[in-house]
Amino acid sequence: MLILTRKAGESIVIDGRIVITISRIEGDVVKVGIDAPAAVPVHRREVYDEIQTSNEAALTTGQPAVPKLDRSAASPAATPP
Amino acid sequence: MAIQSMQTAELVEKQAATANEGVVIHLPLGLLGFEQVHWYNLWALPGEAPFLWLRRRDDCSLGFLLISPFEHVSHYRPDVHQDDVAYLKLNSPSDALVLNIVTLQGNGKATVNLKGPLIINRHTRIGKQVVPRNAADYSVQHPLPVAT
Repeated sequence: MLILTRKAGESIVIDGRIVITISRIEGDVVKVGIDAPAAVPVHRREVYDEIQTSNEAALTTGQPAVPKLDRSAASPAATPP
Repeated sequence: MAIQSMQTAELVEKQAATANEGVVIHLPLGLLGFEQVHWYNLWALPGEAPFLWLRRRDDCSLGFLLISPFEHVSHYRPDVHQDDVAYLKLNSPSDALVLNIVTLQGNGKATVNLKGPLIINRHTRIGKQVVPRNAADYSVQHPLPVAT
């Protein structure tokens, strides 16, 4: 892995089209600004991993039977505290 | 853009049920983990409502089970980033078809991914799996109310 040292306000250019700027450093938190074309998706790693894992688990082969839903019981979307 | 349309995917569902090969959906960025697969068919099979199938065009034995979430999950209101709204060329929430990927968990149970909805422009049939601004409020394994 390439390791670069940057100060707040300094940037890194990737492939001439993606600019990553160290926006602010506060204690152990770094705010990073990313300028990328719309065709370059940018995700937080843990969110990407979670959705990727979910997609892989959801992939079906063949023609599995689908469950019957209880139409009278919509379950509320989970909202963590 | 907050999307909470109770309007079902009716038009697309009807076409997906009647057209020979379903409705062609283009995902230029693929799904997360499946970035290289860009072309799918959307199918609705008789007796399987409210579920839809998103099947790979290059191998229709591989696919994903989808559901339009709003009738089955209350209080779901994905807030789509302005960048994604612009990318998908959505002029209003009604342009967006929101479908979420279902995981069959075995033993008859099923969960739905509310954190990474698939948003499709109804008119262009171009879609993207987005991470809404309020994704932290939602689960990737939200249980669906399966009839017992």
